Amino acid sequence: MKFFAVLLLSFFLPAAASAEEEGPRAFTPCRACHSLDPAEHGRPGPNLSGLIGRTVAGDPEFDYSPVLRKARDEGLRWDEKRLDSFLADPVAMFPGLWMSMRGIEDAAERQALVKLLAAPFPGPGAARQ
Amino acid sequence: MNRRQFLRNSAAGILAAPMLLRNAAAQEGPFRVKYFPIEAGVGLHDVTPARDGAIWFTGQRSGTLGRLEPRDGTFKLINLGKGAAPHGVVIGPDGAPWVTEGGQNAIARVDPGDHKVTLFRLPEKEAYANLNTGVFDKSGIYWFTGQSGIYGRLDPKSGDMKVFKAPRGVGPYGITATPNGEVWYASLAGNHIAKIDLSSGQATAVEPSTPKQGARRVWSDSKSRIWVSEWNSGQVSVHDPADGSWKAWKLPGTNPRAYAVYVDDKDKVWLTDFGGNAIVRFDPVTEQFNAFPSDKSGANVRQLDGRPGETWGAESGNDRLVMIQTAA
Repeated sequence: MKFFAVLLLSFFLPAAASAEEEGPRAFTPCRACHSLDPAEHGRPGPNLSGLIGRTVAGDPEFDYSPVLRKARDEGLRWDEKRLDSFLADPVAMFPGLWMSMRGIEDAAERQALVKLLAAPFPGPGAARQ
Repeated sequence: MNRRQFLRNSAAGILAAPMLLRNAAAQEGPFRVKYFPIEAGVGLHDVTPARDGAIWFTGQRSGTLGRLEPRDGTFKLINLGKGAAPHGVVIGPDGAPWVTEGGQNAIARVDPGDHKVTLFRLPEKEAYANLNTGVFDKSGIYWFTGQSGIYGRLDPKSGDMKVFKAPRGVGPYGITATPNGEVWYASLAGNHIAKIDLSSGQATAVEPSTPKQGARRVWSDSKSRIWVSEWNSGQVSVHDPADGSWKAWKLPGTNPRAYAVYVDDKDKVWLTDFGGNAIVRFDPVTEQFNAFPSDKSGANVRQLDGRPGETWGAESGNDRLVMIQTAA
């Protein structure tokens, strides 16, 4: 029985670890423009710390596309569902967006990214940075 | 009939003249603007003219490379593969379009005859390179950038590829080759430009005169000076490697955002301004700008290229190509 439990654990552990790694991995291309460190500003894209719950175009130090400014003025807020839809096809949600990227087709990869963006920033020394 | 009615009624979005001239000097050319609609949802990004008169363009959102026949406005889209998200396109010494294909993390060559796609994949350890732009040097080596903090070289004949870490990490974006044989790239996040030593592959950063300027794209003029579109500062700047000098000019308007830069065969400098929704021409002799605003909002022209008498771009926000005729 003990052997079976260990076997079961060894089966699930790598999967859990890879799920944890998937978010930072999916965020790798985003790092060229965005930071998750609330103290880091002046990047080509807005700071993404505390994204979930804040208004669209909510980094006060960033100059957003007109379409995002309009969304902010309309009071749109980021939640996990909206972020998932956005990541699937950003231009479909916000036509005329200045940011240029193809949407992420893989639902699991999108979810990993959403979870990363929803999580508290672990500190500048963390692996995801 | 007023001008707006005329435009609405005219065929295929052809404009007779720029709608607005800001800070303009006397115009030297007719500057006729012509639009070429492409399918909705293609997600146009970069363009380059082919030797046979066609225009190649990338469709980042649809994972395609397109070929426009300007004579009649017809176009063909070529699927680059599952998950493709192409960014840049240039014509190689072989006459084929070569593409920075970020979705498959590869350099793609598309045969101009049968449209067969050949991929040169980056090494596994360079996954998520976020490939951006490429250029051929004088010896036929293809150099490319990746925003995740890399640049690299590909020998098209042998397929040999080498990838280098950028000296300051993330940011490598536009890239250009000069008439005197040098290759330079811009680092958007790194706020600098860099010269690549073509023998060793090592890159040396050069600081523009404006801090935190957001150097996005670069283009050489006929004297091997490097013109830079500065996204953050809204400036165009020029660096002369011969004497190390810099000069910079702010684009017109209240909140310019310089995205693309291209230098034509007359050494006139063309830029795109997201803030002003315009393509902008800068004359280095008079130091004056002409602005050519789009007739549609959210044009978002992300790159420019051209050939004698024509400057080309893609309105990524409107799924159409734009050409400005620069000679009568």
